[in-house]
Amino acid sequence: MKLPRPLRLTAFMPRSIAFRLIAAVLTVEFAAAILTVALSFGFERHIHFHTLDVLMHGHVDTILGAVQESSDGKDNVMLVQADLHLPKEDVWEVLDSSGRVLGISPNWQGVAPESIPTGHGAFLQMVINGHHFHLVRRQGTRLVDPGEEGGGKPRTVTVLYGARINRVWEAIWASVEFYALGSGILLLVTGPLIAWLLHRGLLPLRQLAAMAAEVSANSWTFDPPASARRTPELAPLTLALENVLQRLERSFVQQRTFVSDSAHELKTAVAVVKSSLQLLALKRRSAEEYQTGLERCLNDSLRIEDLVAKMLTLAREENAAPVSQAAQATDLADCLRQTVAALETVAAVRDVQIHVVAAGTAVTPVFIPLAGEDGALLFNNLVLNALQHSFRGGEIEVRFCSDAKTALIEIEDHGEGIPPDALPHVFERFYRGDPSRNRNTGGSGLGLAICKAIVERVGGSIAIASQPSLGTSVSVHLPLAQQPS
Amino acid sequence: MRVLLVEDEVRLADNLAAALRDGPGFAVDWAEDGQAGDLCAQNRCYDLIVLDLMLPKLDGLGVLKRLRARHDATPVLVLTAKEGKEPIVELLNAGADDYLAKPFDLGELIARAKALIRRGKGAADPVLTACGLELNTLEQTVHRNGILADLSPTEYRILEYLIHRPRAIVSKRELLEHLYDYNWERHSNVIEAHVSNLRKKLDAALPVSIEPPPEVIETMRGRGYRLAPEMNRGATDAAWDEEQEPGR
Repeated sequence: MKLPRPLRLTAFMPRSIAFRLIAAVLTVEFAAAILTVALSFGFERHIHFHTLDVLMHGHVDTILGAVQESSDGKDNVMLVQADLHLPKEDVWEVLDSSGRVLGISPNWQGVAPESIPTGHGAFLQMVINGHHFHLVRRQGTRLVDPGEEGGGKPRTVTVLYGARINRVWEAIWASVEFYALGSGILLLVTGPLIAWLLHRGLLPLRQLAAMAAEVSANSWTFDPPASARRTPELAPLTLALENVLQRLERSFVQQRTFVSDSAHELKTAVAVVKSSLQLLALKRRSAEEYQTGLERCLNDSLRIEDLVAKMLTLAREENAAPVSQAAQATDLADCLRQTVAALETVAAVRDVQIHVVAAGTAVTPVFIPLAGEDGALLFNNLVLNALQHSFRGGEIEVRFCSDAKTALIEIEDHGEGIPPDALPHVFERFYRGDPSRNRNTGGSGLGLAICKAIVERVGGSIAIASQPSLGTSVSVHLPLAQQPS
Repeated sequence: MRVLLVEDEVRLADNLAAALRDGPGFAVDWAEDGQAGDLCAQNRCYDLIVLDLMLPKLDGLGVLKRLRARHDATPVLVLTAKEGKEPIVELLNAGADDYLAKPFDLGELIARAKALIRRGKGAADPVLTACGLELNTLEQTVHRNGILADLSPTEYRILEYLIHRPRAIVSKRELLEHLYDYNWERHSNVIEAHVSNLRKKLDAALPVSIEPPPEVIETMRGRGYRLAPEMNRGATDAAWDEEQEPGR
């Protein structure tokens, strides 16, 4: 919770989720505002001009109402202007059928009546005295002497009427302005509001990040906040983080143990060489003593060499990509027989017989997904182990069989066996069942760890069973490889 | 002096034992795991225990804790290949007296071993003086009133042990226990012969004029040997001692 300010700032960085969400919302809002303003403009324009039209026709009706029979007795009509109350700004003209002007507003000179369209909604726009006007024309009929025979004489009257439209436009603009202003204010208010809401809404994410930031190679405790677990969007991330961290921690601890174990082994090995040399230099010695001392030093160095080589092998096997070598295929029977043949000399020296037995009638060759040298290394380590733990005159059985999917290899000796308390640890790196003995025979405690790494890399498994003084049996399950073409 | 070496790495143990025997002339017993080491230490005949940390069966720390739990004050020098300071702090707090990190220098190991034994016996100076004798533990030489006495390694070790325990009666059995490792055939008359030779050689280092020569090593019949207390000594020795007194 010590990073709220930088996080608040990052919410406005161009690529942050918050920024993008805010930008998206504001863009949509802005588009909606433009649309609203445009629509309102169209709507208001239509309404206001329609109103103007209705109003003007109303005025025309008023004017028509003021047309009366004239008192000159020639059946003419006249305009009675006394009762006529029309807006002062408007212009109008009344003509009879012969084109005689019955009346005209004082602020106008008149216009040719034919230039003005007639009918509802039709108008002529023109500039009069520097102002924009809409002009309409309507014809009305007034009956003269309606009481006479034949229903009187109809007289046609044409009324031209014009009203200023700047007022109308002002009203339209005022409405549009209202909508535009409202939308603008909405935009201004929603921007910060969304930012604030997002900031609040993203709190679980930030808490999660803060917790995750505290994880380091030295402190693996990752305690995701409850808010992150409850948030459906964050729950998978939290779970994934937890799993990744657990796996990372395991592998880190393993690596650290390996490094520390390696350091211990190497330091001890170097200490041996160093002390051998210093012992030789402690006092003057005879040539023979120097000779023996040098030989011992050489042997000690060879042990370091062997240890380093095995450590590198183990590191290579453990870090190799699981798929890269899966395409390799080796004939299991060939590999086993070659390994055993290579160990014949050692077996002869120790007076141990090795039997290779193919269980069942395995006629077709079985292929295991290991490179030739890895297979040889695996079986060499296992058989050599069996040899080293066998009694003189003993026997070792190497059995193998396979079914449709896996191959099983068993290597069994009848030697001293492994104590039950040591059995679970034999695949651990640098573990030695019997330290003094194995150090004497040059064991580094890495052989079985290397075997395990080789087997597990191709998806197989290795297990060991042992009974003290009866013998040990190692069984290796390997998946079958495609037969090479 | 007798040292117990607890180390599982055979070749390293060989070298350390050889160095401790060849260099300062200690008797060295070797235990190859923690349990054996713990068992050996229960004999309480060691002047120093050199203890490796990573041991099979019982680790070095366990051996150390058991040792101190028995109120055994034998100095312990720990050999460690571990990284970091915490294990060292833990070790020292558990009762270790000193430590060396692998790979160590053999000369340094011997020097520390000597210093720990010296400190364990209550002496700070590597040059020990008593009864007009000056015993230099570094050069392994003995001077009597400034004259070098030509001692064999065993004679030197007997004298060194006695000087480290002034006023105490040291039995032949104790001398055997502390001067020979357990592989040695033990006969108490071997000690008698060596003590007799030692006396002769110490007397030979005196000027001929002093007669009879003042006795340095007393025989307590049936009980053992003792370095002669101050009052029993001859006039020459006393005079020589007085000269040394302010410096002590």
